[in-house]
Amino acid sequence: MAGGILVIAEHLDGKVAPSTLELIAAATSLRVERHGVRLVVFGHGVKELADHLAGYTVDVLVAEHPLLAEYTGDAYVQAVRGIVESTNPRLVLIAHTAQGYDLAPALAGAMDLPVLTNCLAIDLQEGRLVAARRILNEKVHVEVEVRSDRPIVVTMRPGATPPQGTGRGTMSVTEVPVSIDPAAVRVKFVRMERPEVADIDLSSADVIVSAGRGIQKKENLRLVEEFAKAIGGVVGASRPLTDLEWLPKTRQVGQSGKTVRPKLYVACGISGAMQHIAGMKDAGLILAINTDPTAPIFEVAHVGFVANVLELLPAVLKELKAG
Amino acid sequence: MALNLVVCLKQVPNPDLQFQVAPDGKDIKREGLNYKVNGADEYALEEAVRLKEKHGGRVVVLTLGPKRTEPMLREALAKGADEAVRVAYDDPAAFDVGKNARILAAAIRTLPHDLVLTGVQSDDYAYSATGGLVAGLLGLPHASVVTRVAVHDGDLEVACELEGGLERVVALPRPALLTIQFGANTPRYAPLPAIMKAARQPIKEIGPAALGLPGWDAIPLPYAFGVVRLSPPVAKGHAEMITGPIPEQAKKLAQLLREKGFVRR
Repeated sequence: MAGGILVIAEHLDGKVAPSTLELIAAATSLRVERHGVRLVVFGHGVKELADHLAGYTVDVLVAEHPLLAEYTGDAYVQAVRGIVESTNPRLVLIAHTAQGYDLAPALAGAMDLPVLTNCLAIDLQEGRLVAARRILNEKVHVEVEVRSDRPIVVTMRPGATPPQGTGRGTMSVTEVPVSIDPAAVRVKFVRMERPEVADIDLSSADVIVSAGRGIQKKENLRLVEEFAKAIGGVVGASRPLTDLEWLPKTRQVGQSGKTVRPKLYVACGISGAMQHIAGMKDAGLILAINTDPTAPIFEVAHVGFVANVLELLPAVLKELKAG
Repeated sequence: MALNLVVCLKQVPNPDLQFQVAPDGKDIKREGLNYKVNGADEYALEEAVRLKEKHGGRVVVLTLGPKRTEPMLREALAKGADEAVRVAYDDPAAFDVGKNARILAAAIRTLPHDLVLTGVQSDDYAYSATGGLVAGLLGLPHASVVTRVAVHDGDLEVACELEGGLERVVALPRPALLTIQFGANTPRYAPLPAIMKAARQPIKEIGPAALGLPGWDAIPLPYAFGVVRLSPPVAKGHAEMITGPIPEQAKKLAQLLREKGFVRR
């Protein structure tokens, strides 16, 4: 049963990661011959989840094992390896999430397979895989190609493909055996740590003014706070500022922080790394202030101001006060 | 419990720069770019130096790249690394992460290693794949996006960052590979005497022969990789751009905020 595309589902606490539905859509749009697209759900006690996923017009394989109850790279590499060896797909699609980029390259290394990660779009053409990626802080687009007679491991950036919707009727769900050598599972799950309760809940704010590296000094946060106050907003931050501990981790907007959908989002001195954009791109109105006109933040912003935020904000505050 | 620590460093063009595509479309124009150590790798180095200071051992920094990487290696020596190794793979672009990782893995095999550290992602190509590939190729247990490392007698306990602020804590035996996240620690500055000393330290160079290869292209790859083309990004959307003198931009921004009803009266 060789060929086709194997999609690896991701789930946590009984919920499917949104990126899994995006992968199904990306795989389905490639219209591969023969076995088409199969989604594999690894885990323990995930039959119900698998049944649910079969509603998204994709055949589902369920691979259950007690050692898959919590994700560990070692157990997953073994389990995925077994299924890749038995099904020999052309592509193995994995989301470019923290779990996905833990798994994908390790799987490729262990099985000596080609791997391409963090892809925005992929296409299969005459025996080659062509992938579109963004490099150099999102400022350059690149297309790369891989030719191989072995399965190619690919990770897709979350948010790059519209998700698959539910279809009419459900597709098949097949249980597949998994064998895992417990002695080879060297990485042991210890516990999950949940984020602390926030001082301010960013995700319920209507107006967020976020600061990035462009504010240069911690003292300049006062300026951002004053501006936020003037427009009834709260202050968020991009990752570099919370790493520097200028603001608590709970104020971080982005993939590893909060996903927000305020009515107004003002990005002050934020270049717009993909991790940040993933957390704010769905805001109602996005204004961005940055000195670099090529900064990727301007691709998601509705209105962009090419200015030093430390000069523009005082001038805006003056304007607002002048009423 | 002295630890042999190997830190993989990558030199990248300063990502705050603007980039132009070379005429053949296969790389960016590299003349006049300034290069720096990859952001996440700075945290990997700092983590290694702290582990050495706490538990004893040695830190070897390893890079793959042309001669221009030497100042980066010297800076790492000044920040506490004991030895610097440059794998003399001179491709200035080195787009194929699989090839890079296979060469790095071959080089790491020649070094004693209880713990291999890399940054979580490179600022230039953003694959987040080198660490995982090296682990898979060397058969090492690994953990990614690590924000905390604790070394116990036989093993390690590390916290791995997931989306939305969750952290997964895992235990793993040594030898192991960890990819270190931004913000895992506060990287130190190199003290001046250490900078002076590092300027005189030798940098070990590894060529293909040292790894038993006739040339770098002899490294076996299960695929053929190619760059089709680089191009300026085609934006899905783009902001309406406001430029010009600050007072005028400020007027427009204030007016916009009023029009949309965001200004409190």
